Amino acid sequence: MRVAQYLITLFVLLSLNFFLPRMMPGDPLSYLLGDPSTDAPILLTEEMRENLLEYYGLNKPLAQQYKDYLLGLAGGDLGWSIYYNAPVSSLLLGRLKWTLFLSGTAAVIYVTLGILLGAISARNRGTKTDVGLLVSVFSLGSWPPFFLGMLLIIFFSLKLGAFPIGGAQSPGAAQAGGFGRVKDVLHHWFLPCLSLVLTHLPGIYLLTRNSMLGVLGEDYVRTARSKGIREHRVLLRHALPNALLPIVTTIAMRFGFMIMGTMFVEVVFAYPGMGTLIYQAGAARDYPLLQGGFLLMMAFVVFFNLAADLLYARLDPRVRRA
Amino acid sequence: MSRLLGVIRGQKLALVGLAVLAFFGLLAVFAPWLSPHDPKEMDAPMLPPTGSHPLGTNDIGQDILSELFYGARFSLLVGFLSAGISTVIGVVLGVISGYYDRLGFTIMRVVDVFLAVPRFPMMVFLAAFLRPGLWTLVLFFVLFGWTRTTRLVRSQILSERNNGYVEAARMVGASDFRIIGRHLLPSTVPIALVRLIVEFQHVILAESGLSFLGLGDPTVKSWGTMLHYAFGYPTIFISDVWVWWAVPPGMCLTLVVLALTFAGFSLEERANPRLRRAWRRGRITDTPEHG
Amino acid sequence: MSFIFDTLTWKDEEGVIPWLADNWDVSEDGTEWTFTLHSDVAWHDGEPLTAEDVAFTFDYFKQHQEAFKWFWPMDKVEGAEAMDERTVVLTLTEPIASCHEALIGSLPIIPRHIWESVDDPAKFTAEEAVIGSGLFKLVEYNKEEARYVYEANADYFKGSPAVDTLTFIKVENEALALETGTTDYASFWGKEIEAVRELEEDLDCQHIEGPSFWVLQVVFNTTQPPFDNVNLRRAVAHAIDRAKIVEQVTHGGAIVANLGIVSPFTDWYNPNLPAYEYDPAKARDMLDELGMTDLSLTLITTGGFAREAELVQADLEQVGIQVEVQAGDQSTIDGLLREGNFDLAINGHGGIANPSILRTPTWPASSYNNEEYDSLYQEQSRATDEEERREMVWQLQQIIAEDLPVLTLYHPKMWTVYNPSKLDTWFYTQGGVSLGIPIAMNKLIFLER
Repeated sequence: MRVAQYLITLFVLLSLNFFLPRMMPGDPLSYLLGDPSTDAPILLTEEMRENLLEYYGLNKPLAQQYKDYLLGLAGGDLGWSIYYNAPVSSLLLGRLKWTLFLSGTAAVIYVTLGILLGAISARNRGTKTDVGLLVSVFSLGSWPPFFLGMLLIIFFSLKLGAFPIGGAQSPGAAQAGGFGRVKDVLHHWFLPCLSLVLTHLPGIYLLTRNSMLGVLGEDYVRTARSKGIREHRVLLRHALPNALLPIVTTIAMRFGFMIMGTMFVEVVFAYPGMGTLIYQAGAARDYPLLQGGFLLMMAFVVFFNLAADLLYARLDPRVRRA
Repeated sequence: MSRLLGVIRGQKLALVGLAVLAFFGLLAVFAPWLSPHDPKEMDAPMLPPTGSHPLGTNDIGQDILSELFYGARFSLLVGFLSAGISTVIGVVLGVISGYYDRLGFTIMRVVDVFLAVPRFPMMVFLAAFLRPGLWTLVLFFVLFGWTRTTRLVRSQILSERNNGYVEAARMVGASDFRIIGRHLLPSTVPIALVRLIVEFQHVILAESGLSFLGLGDPTVKSWGTMLHYAFGYPTIFISDVWVWWAVPPGMCLTLVVLALTFAGFSLEERANPRLRRAWRRGRITDTPEHG
Repeated sequence: MSFIFDTLTWKDEEGVIPWLADNWDVSEDGTEWTFTLHSDVAWHDGEPLTAEDVAFTFDYFKQHQEAFKWFWPMDKVEGAEAMDERTVVLTLTEPIASCHEALIGSLPIIPRHIWESVDDPAKFTAEEAVIGSGLFKLVEYNKEEARYVYEANADYFKGSPAVDTLTFIKVENEALALETGTTDYASFWGKEIEAVRELEEDLDCQHIEGPSFWVLQVVFNTTQPPFDNVNLRRAVAHAIDRAKIVEQVTHGGAIVANLGIVSPFTDWYNPNLPAYEYDPAKARDMLDELGMTDLSLTLITTGGFAREAELVQADLEQVGIQVEVQAGDQSTIDGLLREGNFDLAINGHGGIANPSILRTPTWPASSYNNEEYDSLYQEQSRATDEEERREMVWQLQQIIAEDLPVLTLYHPKMWTVYNPSKLDTWFYTQGGVSLGIPIAMNKLIFLER
């Protein structure tokens, strides 16, 4: 039943995915012919326009294009990018790996840190530690991600010269290989990762804190304490596992939004991930690429939502017993 | 004892937050009187901070401080309107879907679709259409902002509606309307308030993000637009202009978001016991701030 | 592309010079061109370049126009024939004005032995696609990273290039890249003059200034009221302070534009055009006379010109015209311009020195219909006598200045900032490179002369 729900949602989204880019005014042709503000202008007569449209299959009736789109999807064909002149699927894969790398590593860091700090805060609720953590975590995390990114660039890349101002690796480093390449990639990874961690930390931290607080007030915790079990054992063995349940499911859902969540950071740091790809594809009205990118994002969201649901069902002992 | 301390400290934070918000609110309201110049007035461009221009001038010679004050207006207004309207819609729909099952089912499916549509890339779509003015922006944010509120309120209603006093009211013959209005709605207030604050934050960050990318109305004075022009300036990486041009609006944004967090935090503390109960019944994964 | 492929002729600081063709002859009526090719030119893969390749190139490009996006007027080409190893005859259906720029000096000659079996050139992305005869070979190509690496062709018929490798990379910020030494060359235009100034202060670099042939203009929608009225357009021309826009927005990075669109830095510039001085009082009077004192209009533009739009908005407000500015991205604006769905637009175009700039896709096809103008334009594009052509081009500019389908604002200037220790032979080609593109990177800078 649940699965059916998701399938319906997916179908609606697929259709939206098709129609929305085509609802945008303008078409891929302006971008194909180069940026008229810098390149030489080309005089396009109506006839030439028609020819170009036909060449890219853009002048078929909408219903026909829709059918082609759905059939193509079923066959795993995501189309051909008009702007990059390459298959959409290879473009997406190439970009996806960077987004996954960046947000994956950032997620590991801020989840671990968030749970740790949240648990500490919950345990010491009301004390200076708690308030101190609250204030500092939020002070660091309330910055608009693009502003934070730019400031980091200005301070660490420009003033200190410690990090590059953008990109995932230095031009040509991909060829170098080996340890040098790893170092280079990490070098480029540090600042964007830092931005992501700072921005997402407060969320997990607060969630953990609240969840723990909820759990710490429960009967079984009081029972454990009155039995004389030592405090850190109470926390680790009894409180945390139960508190983690909502956190885990939330994180699973959050993963779904991973691609979106990194978009600003990617754009500011010119990181070659999905975020920047979608952004450029939008400007160029590259329908196939936009569709492919959106599809991927939505698939992520739906998949992780489903995973979260199933995970929740598995993990919650109350539900399992029932 | 530590609990009491917690509540008091929570209060202090909230007060600080509210004070900062009030400060910016006043700035926004009294911008025309506080600004040393009309922000559209053009003097020599790229002047560093001097007497008549405490923060210098921007790339077309407009006074940055005045821009800052007027920027407060736009940013706060969009945030408040969007958050307010979407919270109201969210509560109404949440109550309806919590109380009436069949309607509720349909509404929740719609929520599912909306939640799966990626918000930020939708902005890329938006960019293709002519840059949105105030009301188009508000519409856009409301469109995406009501869903989480609905979900949460629905959970709340689901757990409340089997409560003793509701049963009692029904037995006495009270109309649905009365039950909803008298008993159920008030219980949604804490959640609604928290959601209002969280939405406000999201909208402010999103609007400034949009403007920063150049997808907002470029002639409007908003903090995001200021950042857009500042960071887009040719010498941004090789000179010091960012100090007086980019830092002020960025800091204002950060302070407002922070203030909202502190203000909302204490609310959340108070709402906590309620939430704990809701967590047990409904989907624990829904939390007011980042569900 | 001009690095990997060669053309029949080329240009240096002064004008046309022989390249693949040692010399050439053109018939009286301008429709027949005979070229004698330089001998001993080889493709990168070792095969010799012959007249067959040249003839094939013309025919191939004619056949596959849409794949090459109509850069070249192939519809005016009837055919090309190889007479012997070194002679080619090109036949045109009608003479092409500025033929060197439009065709002979810009069409890349491609190897027949590689392309004759390719049916869909747009999708031909194999390694052989970039085999040319040029002074550089393309060894790495990554469109996503916008990274291109060229290696010198030591056997080049004009001599070995001065640099061994040439790498083009995409950087987030060009000024910064110059400062950190990541790149040895960058070009700037218009408002970016500030970066040039700052770089001059910070670095040991040099720069040369050149014209960009580009023009920014206010486009009127002449197909519907209110701007179908030429007097209203003239009133607006008096209301806008163009010099101020140049100063406030570009900080001296541009010059006030020629009302006739053609850049003053080209041979085709007409200096005798009527002027519309900045005079808001006069503008208001004209508006009163027209009875249009309460106009409310929309102005569309792209984000990059929002500042200019702000100033235009302020200027027009001064004379009682309310303007709402709407910004969109380039695709959107193009669409709207084509549909004629706007009152005013701020748009720019150009970038080439050729008078073909006077008739472009963004205007006036959609918003300006003047038969006299169109037929005159067609005529001048056929003219073989330069004097005659100049007269016609001057007349076209006159029409624009009087009729004002667009109000030009400014011509941005261009600068090339470079590291002199790496290469210091940069120059701006008169009339632009190839089709008339104003870049300082004419491949001649790499060759000994």
